Amino acid sequence: MTKYILKRLGQGLLTVFLTVSTVFILIRLAPGDPAVSYAGPLATTEQLAKVREQFGLDRPVLEQYWIFLQQLFTGNLGTSYSFQAPAMQVVAERMPYTLTLATASILLTAVVAIPLGVWMARRPDTNRELGVNVLTIAGQSMPDFWTGIMLLTGFAVLIPLFPASGFATWGGLVLPTVTIATLQIALISRMVRREMTSNFAAPYLTVARSRGVGSPALTWRYAMGNSAIPVFTALGTRFAAMLNGVVVVEVVFAWPGVGSLIVRALETRDYPLIQATVLLTALLAVAVQLVIDLAYPLLDPRVRLGKAAAA
Amino acid sequence: MSLSDTATPAASAAQPPRTPSPSAVTKDLVAKAGATRRRNAAKWKLRIGAVCTLIVIIPILLAQVLPLPDANHQDLSARRLAPLVDGHLFGTDQLGRDLLSRVLHGGQVSLTIGILAVVVSGAIGIILGAAAGYFGGWVDTVVSRVLEAQMSLPLLMMLLLVVALFGPSIPVITFVIAIAQWPEVARLTRSMVLVEREKPYVSAARILGLHRIQILIQHIIPNVIKQATLVVLLLLAQAVLLESALSFLGAGPQRPFATWGRIISDGQDYITTSWWMVTLPGLVIVLMVVGVNLLGDGLRDRPRRKKKGA
Repeated sequence: MTKYILKRLGQGLLTVFLTVSTVFILIRLAPGDPAVSYAGPLATTEQLAKVREQFGLDRPVLEQYWIFLQQLFTGNLGTSYSFQAPAMQVVAERMPYTLTLATASILLTAVVAIPLGVWMARRPDTNRELGVNVLTIAGQSMPDFWTGIMLLTGFAVLIPLFPASGFATWGGLVLPTVTIATLQIALISRMVRREMTSNFAAPYLTVARSRGVGSPALTWRYAMGNSAIPVFTALGTRFAAMLNGVVVVEVVFAWPGVGSLIVRALETRDYPLIQATVLLTALLAVAVQLVIDLAYPLLDPRVRLGKAAAA
Repeated sequence: MSLSDTATPAASAAQPPRTPSPSAVTKDLVAKAGATRRRNAAKWKLRIGAVCTLIVIIPILLAQVLPLPDANHQDLSARRLAPLVDGHLFGTDQLGRDLLSRVLHGGQVSLTIGILAVVVSGAIGIILGAAAGYFGGWVDTVVSRVLEAQMSLPLLMMLLLVVALFGPSIPVITFVIAIAQWPEVARLTRSMVLVEREKPYVSAARILGLHRIQILIQHIIPNVIKQATLVVLLLLAQAVLLESALSFLGAGPQRPFATWGRIISDGQDYITTSWWMVTLPGLVIVLMVVGVNLLGDGLRDRPRRKKKGA
């Protein structure tokens, strides 16, 4: 067990390391000079050179990478150019907002999508099921930025129920959450339906039914019990992906999270900030993945983690 | 085929005297009813999907022929006209440009990118997936690891980075979307090829002395290509959405190209006074993506004749 966790942690850290290294190379290959966006368009050549020296951008790329690696191990990724504050701190301040939004979205998704998927699986090939099925297709066909703007117009401008942007009150959480959940509910409920349908058709369920197990127990204890791992994995993976910033939705609702931060950092070529964002979000995503894997034995007592990794 | 068709009614006709069932509804009948409903649902999905898709695609293809004002022709005296005013079916935008014309011309760009991206990702995915599944060994290891690594990368962030790196030109965006999408095709192709390669016809071909690559290209790929292309159709819907998200964030093809994402992001500032500038282009995207998704779903659900006969 401990060995398994250590192995997975090692793999996770390797992924994080490769990710931040790829980003390091990519942003240095990219055209666009951070010094220009920092010093302004009217800066003289000398001023630009001075800014580059200050940021350490005049050194060879390999040397910059070496410094970056040292910073990586001390956990201090330098000062953000545009915020003039430690980059890690800037990102860490934004993280709770993205975490709140992601948690709220995934909870709403789970609460709606699982019953909906079960509902669909229990009455296959009926007109009502077909109707909901088409609705889920529509749900996954709407661009999220458009859904967001529509909700914003409807429920913040025309009927001012919720604030239009930012996160001043808890009401501000509603519209972005619904926007994200619309797509996720569509995807997850279809997945739940698929899993449950195949479990309903399985012989063990016929056996249980013939022994007189009631319908609710058949659905929730037997079929759902066996669908739990894939459904939980899907929800967890979606959650991990959201931690990387629900970029589009955060931009639409001016949400002060990591997603809107990365867009700004990319625009201003704020290298330390980009790297800090990527590092923190990648670390969190790997941690979530690990938690998902560690939860498997709780969901299904047949799973033995060490053996699962060996197989 | 014809043999089995005639065999089915004969079998069901012979059934009632043999098994006198207490209920008129047998399990077979229930299953048959389900299959019929599924077939009808698939048929309707195909029809509605085709209609939705064509409603959007035909005008897009004919955008140059239709009697529309130029997409970039500004008329500052006709700014933000509501739909149906002065012959502007979709109204005009903040610079007095005809919105319908912009949406249709933008659609040409978005569709071109979507189709090209899907062709590229389909080709990469099928080739690499088939190679991984068929050759196994180190080829499989490399492809599978790359697939896994890409899963754990923050996708949209990477796409934005690459677009920032190579500039938002149409080839770059096409390539970026293709790179984002190939894993899905590759994983599916790999799993299907893994099944196919164990079948007797592969051994037969090998005994006949065919080269391994020849077996893969001439015998295995034709057997999996049909299902793989179905996934590709669903990917087209995703590609169009992804492109519009990128151009919404300002990482789409640059002006003078109008793209769906940017038309909406431009209209966002006027949402309180001019609802149509965001709503209508969005509805066009939804209509087309729903259409393509319905087509893909319907094609997948459609029962395969061959299997029914067998």
